[in-house]
Amino acid sequence: MDFALTEEQGFFKKIVADTVDRLVVPKAREIDEKDEFPWELWREFAGLGYLGLRYPEEIGGMNADPVTAMIFYEQIARGSVGFAQSVIMNALMGTNFIYRFGTEEIKKRCLYPAMRGEKISTMCFTEDQSGSDLAATRTRAVKEGKEWVINGTKMWITNGAIADVTTVLATTDPSQGVKGLNFFLIEKGTPGFAPGQVLDKLGCRGTGTGELVFDNVRIPEENLLGTEVNKGAEYLAEILDEVRAMTGAMALGIAQAAYDEGLEYARKRLAFGKTIGSYQLIRAKFADMATEMEASRLLVYYSAWRIKEKLPCRKEAAMAKMFATETCLKVVDEVTRIWGANAFAREYNPQRHFRDARFLLYGGGTHEIIKDFLGRMIIGKS
Amino acid sequence: MDKVLILVEAKGDELRKVSLELLSEGLRLAEGGRFSSEALFLGKLPGKVKEKILHYTEKLVHVTDPVLENYTAEGHALALAGYARKSGAKMILSGATQSARDFLPRVAVLLQAGIASDVTGANWLENPMTFIRPMYGGRVLSEVTFPAYPAIVTVRPNHFGLGAPLATKGEFTEFQAGIISEQLKTSVIQKEETARDKVDLTEADRIVAGGRGLKAAENFKIIEDLAELIGATVGATRSVVDAKWRDQADQIGKSGKTVSPNLYIGAGISGAIHHIMGMDTSKVVLAINSDPNAIIFKYANYGIVGDLFETLPAMTEELKKRLGK
Amino acid sequence: MNIIVLIKQIPDSEALVTISEDGAMLNIEQKFAMNLFDEYALEEALRIKEKHRGKVKAITLGSGKAVEALRTGIAMGADEAMLLEDEVFLDGDGYATAFVLSKAIAKEPFDIILCGRQAIDDDRGEVGQMVAQLLGLPHVGSIVKLDIADGAAVAEVAVESGKEVVKVQLPAVFTAQKGLNEPRVPLIVGVMKAMKAQIPRVTAADLGLTAVQTGKQGSKVKVVKYSLPKKTSAVQFLSGEPREAAIEAVRILMDVERVI
Repeated sequence: MDFALTEEQGFFKKIVADTVDRLVVPKAREIDEKDEFPWELWREFAGLGYLGLRYPEEIGGMNADPVTAMIFYEQIARGSVGFAQSVIMNALMGTNFIYRFGTEEIKKRCLYPAMRGEKISTMCFTEDQSGSDLAATRTRAVKEGKEWVINGTKMWITNGAIADVTTVLATTDPSQGVKGLNFFLIEKGTPGFAPGQVLDKLGCRGTGTGELVFDNVRIPEENLLGTEVNKGAEYLAEILDEVRAMTGAMALGIAQAAYDEGLEYARKRLAFGKTIGSYQLIRAKFADMATEMEASRLLVYYSAWRIKEKLPCRKEAAMAKMFATETCLKVVDEVTRIWGANAFAREYNPQRHFRDARFLLYGGGTHEIIKDFLGRMIIGKS
Repeated sequence: MDKVLILVEAKGDELRKVSLELLSEGLRLAEGGRFSSEALFLGKLPGKVKEKILHYTEKLVHVTDPVLENYTAEGHALALAGYARKSGAKMILSGATQSARDFLPRVAVLLQAGIASDVTGANWLENPMTFIRPMYGGRVLSEVTFPAYPAIVTVRPNHFGLGAPLATKGEFTEFQAGIISEQLKTSVIQKEETARDKVDLTEADRIVAGGRGLKAAENFKIIEDLAELIGATVGATRSVVDAKWRDQADQIGKSGKTVSPNLYIGAGISGAIHHIMGMDTSKVVLAINSDPNAIIFKYANYGIVGDLFETLPAMTEELKKRLGK
Repeated sequence: MNIIVLIKQIPDSEALVTISEDGAMLNIEQKFAMNLFDEYALEEALRIKEKHRGKVKAITLGSGKAVEALRTGIAMGADEAMLLEDEVFLDGDGYATAFVLSKAIAKEPFDIILCGRQAIDDDRGEVGQMVAQLLGLPHVGSIVKLDIADGAAVAEVAVESGKEVVKVQLPAVFTAQKGLNEPRVPLIVGVMKAMKAQIPRVTAADLGLTAVQTGKQGSKVKVVKYSLPKKTSAVQFLSGEPREAAIEAVRILMDVERVI
């Protein structure tokens, strides 16, 4: 078993980490405090070409395999979670279905500009009443001649406020549950489509998450992203493992950022004449954090490897997401304890990591849902 | 006897302090009997400098080729190597000035000599002679030796002590290395005296920082005066920046800039952890605070418990005297 | 225009450096980075290439891991790279290292050779100048600006009192100082090219050199032992009236610590 990154992957990690340190880290605090989309940083970062990393070189991408992509997701989350969410949504979920199913015309209009960062993309499936329960999707798609008419409201949409290109999950028949789901492409400027309320979030600020309203939006039939009608749930399932592993990678990045702050503080802060890192209880915290982060790392990258090798990964990716998230939540909590009262001040980073980490509980599936399905998978139907 | 050739340099019409330190070391070595030393000067020699040197050496050789009037690495290297060969010197010693560090490696190749750059200590009488030089930004010291001679050593300023002048002046001779300008592929086309841009805090070698103890914005003048004198950059704590006495750009600390100077002088600063995390890799820290229990003393090498309004100006005055300004 | 850049991979500035019991060896944490000053040299080479059309070749003398520094060079835009890799090249002083580099460079076409003014691990600042002397070339050290025109270069050097402008005939060597430029962030196309690049290795045999001429054996300076600088842990209070304490402080800073 070779657990090492290849030399090329090691090099990629170094370059991305350096790039994030130079461009993103210095802006992280401002992005969180202002809660405004960092347009200048977006343009600068998009200009480097990473947004298309998963897509073929021939169209300007990097053909990055899932392991290489995980390295990228982890590093960018380590820099700024708010910014990372926008970047990753654009690089993965927001463009994936357009890449897979869009016509060349659609790709020219939506995919390639998104890969260059000229257009911002997002994927919408969450609604007010349906998060984990996809069958409860109410956004409706009705075929009228050569057009689809879409009605509904989406919630918790990353990049929602500024999205130019959206992939929207809608049902043709609510009574069919998940078997009625489809993905549709809806672009900004289409009559009836407008962003709604923008959420004031606890963490991952700067990314413009909110409501999208579709009021009798008419789109041509080629905007159905799929080779057949009503295959939406299947298509989503095909990307689900990668999305979960990616969430795990983000958890690793956030944990690492917090951990590094904790380590610096433990080495420097004095109490009773010694650095606090000299005390056993603090040392124990680092031993625990480091162990769990190491285990999380192995699970996340193992899942990515399985996806790369096209091995079934439903179980492993879900475990990776869940375990890495729980680890991250513990790490950001411990670091705020290590930092003492200073962690309570908004001007230092530990509180931001603490707040940012909470979103991991929701992205890629809640842990209650994951545990239920894992348990069911293991025990079998009774 | 082993001959030591000491390259001496001038700054304007003053002999460089490091050159004087090396000449003093040369005299000390000569006293011991094992070494003889000679001073060497390249290019235009101001009268005042010549006088000073002659009081600190038995012999001063002035290389007078006109091409040496402006510094070029090529020209200076050829001149020094030329004289060194002729003189049969075993060691060539120089201050680790910008120009010496620039051209002496060329001399090393010309003479096929070993070179130890930026040395901070010497064990002349050991066999073999060894020299100490810092590495990894000063985090490690290495002790080096030369398997063969001649050898070259450039010495960091402030590491050899100044000695007393000689009772009688040394001998003065001139030497022509025979270098003509056509031989050189380098030429100086312009020299500009400019006020150097203020060094950014993050790159400063020396910092003088002030905290709440300064009591008012205008009092920062005493920090600025000291900083100006020793070529330091001025820094401030977060509370001072919040109070708008100083710019955000001057802030040192976790939410400001992280600095790592050779010298950090902090006055009127309590030493809150966020400030400490921004400056604790400073090599030498001197803290001045009227509170003997101020946290900053736990992170300082030297501390003065006292009134900064008296201490800082007193330091400035003493430094003016010592630096001859 | 052919530009050669000499790059050194060094331990990261945060890497822990400890000394073996007997002081004979350094144990360095395995975290590496390209020498900061070499980044400026590389960036300048790329800018010259973009302005005057040409080729940039990056050369490193180091162990196998040093290939990462060369990949970074390619990611930024260098056209070619070469690793001088041989056990006998290692642990050399400035001379031995410059000797090997000059032999390798002599086999290449070049108009300009750029490198950092010093490597921040060994802190010697010798190699660039020695390479110049070994190849019979002029050099300008610690440049903060470089302009090329008509087979000659005009470089600016920041000196204590201000700046000096120096003209030099090409080919020549230039060592880069901070302030020369701001190194670019590599684009993904560069990163991809770098990841796939096959970087040739050159051994002592390829250069017709033997162990005696290179590395440790070929050095003219030998390390006897390593040690740590003395460090006092507790603060030393300077007593007396402000004036007395101030005078003592100045004495310590100037004569003992030598930081002024």
